Amino acid sequence: MSSESDNTTEPTEYQHDDDGGPQPEKHCGHGRGGMGEEVTRKEDKRFITGRGNYVDDIKKPRMLHCEIVRSPHAHARIEDIDGSRAMALDDVVAVLTADDLLEHGLATMPTLMDDTQDVLVNDKVKFQSQEVAAVIATDRYAAKDGAEKVEVEYDVLDPVIGAEEALEDDAPVIREELDDQDDNHIFDWETGDAEATDAVFDAADVTVEEQMEYQRLHPAPIETCGCVADWDPGDDKMTVHMTSQAPHAHRTLFSQVSGIPEHKVRIVSPDVGGGFGNKVPIYPGYVVAAAASYVLERPVKWVEERSENIQTTGFARDYDMTGELAATENGEIKGVKVDVLADHGAYNAAAQPSKFPAGFFNIFTGSYDIEAAHGSLTAAYTNTAPGGVAYRCSFRVTEAVYLIERMVKVLADELDLDPAEIRRRNFIPSDAFPYESATGWNYDSGDYEKALDKALEMADYDHYREEQQRRIEEDADKLIGIGISSFTEVVGAGPGKQCDIAGIEMFDSADLRVNPTGNAVLRVGVQTQGQGHETTFAQIIAEELGMDVDNIVVEHGDTDTEPYGLGTYGSRSTPVAGAAAAVAARKVRDKAKSIAANELEAAEEDIEWDRESGEFHVAGAPERSITITEIAAGAYMNHPGSEEPGLEATNYYDPPEMTYPFGSYIVIVEVDRETGEVDFEKFVAVDDCGNRINPMIIEGQIHGGLAQGIGTAMMEHVTYDDNGNVTGGDFMNYLLPTAKEIPNFDTGHTVTPSPHHPIGAKGVGESPTVGSPPAIVNAVVDAMSHSGVSHVEMPMTPDAVWEALDEAELTLEPSANVDFAFDTSEEPADD
Amino acid sequence: MTDKREITLTVNGTERTVEAEPRKLLVHAIREDLDLTGTHIGCDTGNCGACTVLKDGEPIKSCLTFAVQADGSEIMTVEGMEDLPEASGELHPLQEGFREEHGLQCGYCTPGMIMSGKALLDENPDPEEGEIREAISGNLCRCTGYQNIVKSIEYAADELNKEPAAADGGTVTAEQRFADDDFDCGVENCCGGPSTETPHVEGADPQFDDVGGDDT
Ligand code: FES
Ligand code: FES
Repeated sequence: MSSESDNTTEPTEYQHDDDGGPQPEKHCGHGRGGMGEEVTRKEDKRFITGRGNYVDDIKKPRMLHCEIVRSPHAHARIEDIDGSRAMALDDVVAVLTADDLLEHGLATMPTLMDDTQDVLVNDKVKFQSQEVAAVIATDRYAAKDGAEKVEVEYDVLDPVIGAEEALEDDAPVIREELDDQDDNHIFDWETGDAEATDAVFDAADVTVEEQMEYQRLHPAPIETCGCVADWDPGDDKMTVHMTSQAPHAHRTLFSQVSGIPEHKVRIVSPDVGGGFGNKVPIYPGYVVAAAASYVLERPVKWVEERSENIQTTGFARDYDMTGELAATENGEIKGVKVDVLADHGAYNAAAQPSKFPAGFFNIFTGSYDIEAAHGSLTAAYTNTAPGGVAYRCSFRVTEAVYLIERMVKVLADELDLDPAEIRRRNFIPSDAFPYESATGWNYDSGDYEKALDKALEMADYDHYREEQQRRIEEDADKLIGIGISSFTEVVGAGPGKQCDIAGIEMFDSADLRVNPTGNAVLRVGVQTQGQGHETTFAQIIAEELGMDVDNIVVEHGDTDTEPYGLGTYGSRSTPVAGAAAAVAARKVRDKAKSIAANELEAAEEDIEWDRESGEFHVAGAPERSITITEIAAGAYMNHPGSEEPGLEATNYYDPPEMTYPFGSYIVIVEVDRETGEVDFEKFVAVDDCGNRINPMIIEGQIHGGLAQGIGTAMMEHVTYDDNGNVTGGDFMNYLLPTAKEIPNFDTGHTVTPSPHHPIGAKGVGESPTVGSPPAIVNAVVDAMSHSGVSHVEMPMTPDAVWEALDEAELTLEPSANVDFAFDTSEEPADD
Repeated sequence: MTDKREITLTVNGTERTVEAEPRKLLVHAIREDLDLTGTHIGCDTGNCGACTVLKDGEPIKSCLTFAVQADGSEIMTVEGMEDLPEASGELHPLQEGFREEHGLQCGYCTPGMIMSGKALLDENPDPEEGEIREAISGNLCRCTGYQNIVKSIEYAADELNKEPAAADGGTVTAEQRFADDDFDCGVENCCGGPSTETPHVEGADPQFDDVGGDDT
C-alpha cells in the first residue's frame, strides 16, 4: 500500500470488464452499490421535498441585506459619491464606498491570475455594472430603496469594446493605474515549435485556414452567486456561507485578503444550485458582505440578481481563433497552427492554474497524431466584465477542441474526404499510449477509433449520408447535415508541481472514518454543485471496503470539518478526490486486515479481501470470513495490541498525471432553406471516461453538458454595444435552451481505464460541453458544404444560418405558411 | 416605507397570514415570511420558473405576482406534495419520478419543475412527450438537459394512472414496479432474473452479467 506521498505507485486495482455493452437498466438495490451500479442518488430526497439548503435560504437573527450600487457606464471616472439620501432612509444601516474599505485594507482584492480588482471602484469604472457602492439595510427591499438613493457623479470616458480595438495604438488605456501599463495588452503566450511547424507547412500538399470566434458565454447556473457573512466578535471568527466550488481555497484567499487568520475563517458551501465554473472566483460582493459584517457586527446577506450574475461575474470563452492545418493529399495531418486573440475583460481574472495563462489550450492537437504544432495568443483588457472562467471545461480545453474539430472538417471538405475517414487516418493509434503530443501532453490511454465506430453505428451514418445526397439531388426544402467531433479532454488537475491555484498545489483529499457500528463518514475536499458526490463517492467506498452504499455518508463543503482540497471544477473530483477516497479506503482495508487477523485468530499475511463479496477471509478457508461491520466493532472494542484503536484513514492525493477522457459525438441536423432553422434529427454521444462509477449519473452529466453545448452552438452570447452596454445580460437576452430546444440524446460508451488512477476512472462532467459544439457546427456547415460553405459562427441563430444559406445561394423563397418574425437585414449585435 | 397590509393565504392546506407591503413579491412572502424555502428564485425577468407555485391550482411564477394579488387564494408549494393523498404519507409519485429517473442534479430548478409537472398532470393525466416539454418550457434547468425530467414526469403519470392497482391502497413499491416492467437486474432470483435453487448472494454485482437493455 502506498504512503500519502507515494500515490504514483497506486495501481488500478479495480478491474472492470465493461466493454461498453449492455448495462443494468437500473440499480435494484440488491448489490452493495459499488462501482458500476446505477444507485439512485442519496442527496435527492432533500431536493425533491424542498428541503435543500442553498445560500439564499439561510436566515440568521439580526441579519442585514446588501445591495450593490453599480455603474451604468462602461468606462468612467467617479467624481463623487453621496450616500446621505440613502442613509436618511429608516431601514438603511450603512452605505459603503471604496473609502470605507480602504480603512480596512479591503478596497481591492487579488484575482486568481494575480491581477488586482477593485472591490468597490476607487477611481475609475472599467465595465458596465461594476461595483461602486454598497447599501446595507434591514431587508432586501429597503436595501434596494437605499441603492436607488445613492448619488454618483461620473465623468464618462470612451469605452474600449473588443480585443482587436483594445490593441489599436490610439485605444484609451483602461488600466492606467498599473505601473508600466501604457496600452491594453495583458500578455503574449506561445506553445510548440514554430520552426518545425513552418517546415511542415512548407512541405505540405495542402494547407487550410479558418477564422472562428468562440463567443463570450456565461455559465449561468440557475442559482446565482451569493453569501451570508457572519463576523462573530465573541470568537473573532468570520463564517461565510457562500456559493463556492472551492471552499478551502476560498478560505485561504479570504484570510489573505482580510488579514483574519485562516483558522478564524470558516467557509461553508451549502447546497449549490449549479456552478459550471461560475463559482470558482471570488467576487466583490462576497468581500463587501464580509466587510460589512465585520464593521456592523451583524450577519450580512448578499445574493445577486440574474442580471448582476451575467453582467459582472466570470464569463467564459471569448477567444477569436485562426486555425491552420497542413496535410498530405490523402488527408494525413502534418501540422497545426493557431493564433488567438483573447478578450479578458477589465481585469485578468481568468480561473486557471497559475502557470497556465492560456489554460490547457495547447491540447489543440486533439485526438490526432500530429508531428508539429505551434500556437500563439495575445490577451487584451477591454471595458467588459472580467472573466475567462472554465465554464464546464478544463481550462480552455473547450476552445482547443472546438478549433481542432472544426479544422478537421474544413480539411475534409477541402480534400473531399469523408470526415469520419479523415479522423480515422489521423487518430493516435490505440497502441501508442502513453502518448506524448507535439505540445508536450502525456495522454494516459485511449481507443479513439472504437468510440468513433460505435457512434457511427448508433447514428446510422451511412443511411444519413445517402439521405443527405438524395436531398441535394432533389433540391429538397430541407438539407441534411452530419457533424462529427472526436474529442479528447485533459482533466483532473494537478499534478501539484505543475498546477496550482494561487500557489496552492492542486491535490485533493479524503478522510474516511468507520464507526464502531460499521457505518462510515467520508469527508472530501471537493464540493458538489449537482454532480452527485454524496452518492458516487459513497460508491467508491462501498466498492473498496465491502460496505453497503447506504451505510456511508459523504460530507463536503465545510472548511471547519473537511480536509483541505482544491474544489470541484475542471472535471477533477473523480480523478483527484475520487482517487483520494479509494486510497483512503484501501488504507482502512489494510488496517482492517490486521483486525480481521486478530478476530479470526490467523496471521495477518493470511487474510485476504474478496472484492466480490466484500468480505475478509483466511486464505484457502473462505468459510472463515468476517465483514467490515464486524471488523469495525473489533477496531473499537477489541483492538489488536499491535494497532491503534479506531478505524480511519486520510489521503491527500497528488495525481501523477492528468486523465484524458474522450469520445465521439455525431449530430444529424435538418436545415430549413426557407427560414434557416436547424432541427436535430439525431444526437449520438459515445463517451469514454474510463471505469464508470454510476452509469446513471454519468448519463445525466452527459445530457446536461450536451444541452449546454446546444446552448453554446445555437443560442448563447453575452453581447455588448459600442458604448459598452451589455445587451445580452439577463435571461430575456441571454437565452438558455428550454425543454423545447433540446432533443433526446442517444448515449453510448466505451471503457478505456486510466492506467494511473486507483479505480481507473477519468472524469466525465465536461466532455459533453467540450465535445458537442464543434459537432453541431460541423453538422450545420455540412448541410451547406456542397455549396462551398466552410464556417458558420456561433451562436447559429436562424438568421445566422439563413445568411450562410443565402451566401451559398441555397435559400428558398418563403412559402406562404412561413412567418418571418425576424428582420434578416439586421446585423447581429457587436461583441 | 409603504404601509403593510395583512393578507391571508391558504398554503399547502393551512391558512397563514402575512404582513406585506403592496410591492412585496409573492415569492418573497413564501420564502421569507412563511419560511418555505423550497420555492426558489433564479432570475429577475420571469424566465426561469424556479419560483413556480400553484395558485388556485394554476401554475404561476411567484416572482411575477405581488403577494397582495394572492390574498385569499390557495397556494401550493413543493413542501405540500408529500401531504397529497397520492403520496400516501411518503413521496408523491412526481417526487419519486424525479429520483427514480434522475430528473435532478443540483436540485435548484426541481421544485419549480415538480409544480409545473403537477399542473400538467392535473389537466392531462397521460401527456405525450411533446406536451410535457411544452408544459415545462417555462422552467429552465441548466443541469439535466431535460430528457430525464421528461422521463420523471412520465414515470409519475404512469404511477398515478395505475395507482388503484396497488392492492393495499398504498403506492406501488419500487419492487412491484420492477416486477411489472419485467425489469431484470440479471442476478439470479432477483428482479425477474433466472430462478435457481441457490439464493441470490448479497453483494454480487449485476453489472457483469449479460442482461437485457442497452444504454444506447
Ligand atoms: S424567479 Fe420567477 S421566473 Fe425566474
Ligand atoms: S437540476 Fe440544476 S438547474 Fe435543474
